[in-house]
Amino acid sequence: MNESLIILVLVVATALAFDFTNGFHDTGNAMATSIATGALSPKVAVTLSAVLNLVGAFLSTAVAATIAKGLVDANLVTLEIVFAGLVGGITWNLLTWLLGIPSSSSHALIGGVIGAMLAAAGSSGVEWKGVVSNVVLPAVLSPVIAGLVATLGTYSVYRSTRGLEERRTERGFRIGQIGSASLASLAHGTNDAQKTMGIIFLALISYGSVSADETLPPTWVIVSCASAIALGTYLGGWRIIRTLGKGLVEIRSPQGMAAESSSAAIILLASHFGFSLSTTHVATGSILGSGLGKPGAEVRWGVALRMATAWVVTLPAAALVGAVAYGVTAGIGGLAGVLVVFAGLLAVSFTIWLRSRGSVVSHDNVNDEWDDRASSRRPAVAGAES
Amino acid sequence: MNGWLDVGALLKVLVFGIVAGAGLPALFAVGVRSQAVGAGTIDGQHLAGDRRPLLTAAAYLCFALVAVAIAAGVLFVARDFIGHHTGWYVLGAEPS
Repeated sequence: MNESLIILVLVVATALAFDFTNGFHDTGNAMATSIATGALSPKVAVTLSAVLNLVGAFLSTAVAATIAKGLVDANLVTLEIVFAGLVGGITWNLLTWLLGIPSSSSHALIGGVIGAMLAAAGSSGVEWKGVVSNVVLPAVLSPVIAGLVATLGTYSVYRSTRGLEERRTERGFRIGQIGSASLASLAHGTNDAQKTMGIIFLALISYGSVSADETLPPTWVIVSCASAIALGTYLGGWRIIRTLGKGLVEIRSPQGMAAESSSAAIILLASHFGFSLSTTHVATGSILGSGLGKPGAEVRWGVALRMATAWVVTLPAAALVGAVAYGVTAGIGGLAGVLVVFAGLLAVSFTIWLRSRGSVVSHDNVNDEWDDRASSRRPAVAGAES
Repeated sequence: MNGWLDVGALLKVLVFGIVAGAGLPALFAVGVRSQAVGAGTIDGQHLAGDRRPLLTAAAYLCFALVAVAIAAGVLFVARDFIGHHTGWYVLGAEPS
């Protein structure tokens, strides 16, 4: 077993770890509203979402190609660059999870890879046009479009059932909400699992075991990525589910149904066209829209603003971590460099996990009342300060 | 894809997004309403209305239309995968 094969194995393991964080970071995108309205119990929701993510990951691979070829110069990519990029993505994903902020896993990954590429080859290694048209513009446009569609959907749903007592329509809308949330999970699999497939694909191309002309990743890549994201989804990112389900809008079943329908439609369409948009941005836009479309509903713009800030910061912050990780990897050099950074990543992950134990959000307390004055990230605990 | 932004694809996402993402929930809501009114349930102590079988039928038609649209949409996205693995090419998928 030579040195570069060991590095390849480490890179693939790191990529699957990223996919896992992607899974639990994004469970809320599809399931937060169903959990918040009580249409599904938290455990059932994450299980359903995990299975559908797994299925979705197999259905379409258009996005994998965009990630593998559209963002950085595939000829300049080395295993160290891919590795450092993944370290940037994972670190940022874990930090935002700790804070309960639904930031984009896709941007964390893309930012990490771009940062590592910049550190390695300078500005010429990045396909700036691809970055703008495949990442930046969709990031700006997708939440707006999703919000618009969800606003229209919510408004027409409330309009259609005007004058009817809620208890006569609640059951129907709960069923509708479960259906639309399932579709959103499926859609998430078609878009997000693809991103890690694209990255592993990129690593295999740079190792030389796959030709750059191939358009489909090898089957074992598809299977392992699908499994990693499903496992992460099943674990459930309760902190983020809480922010999305309770923090933005007090959500009712008809709104949840409209929001998830909008998310599912936009994400599936984007997967079909090969746009790698952020499922997080779409889901957040949809949930905001469902608040705007319901007459008299309250939207907590403060929470929305904090999310938007995190979105803007995600790309450069992950890029910075990616660049530093590359600097250390390449500075030490060879297998030793990769091993040192890998150990560093484990240490950082463990520290963040330890910090998270201080204020646990789980399936038990995910739906507690949202308290905007206190730390809004965690449920208020009666009589306790922290 | 000459420009920075593929406006054609963006417009398609917008139009199909509104039709599927807002239209289907709206149609579903019409179904929920028809079902509730058609069942002629009793509100509190008062009879709200007689059963109206035609409305009930209309409700199930709405639900069926939504289900068919969703099935078609998922099949459309998965058409290459299905064709690749089963040789069953649907909705304009082509063998590569």
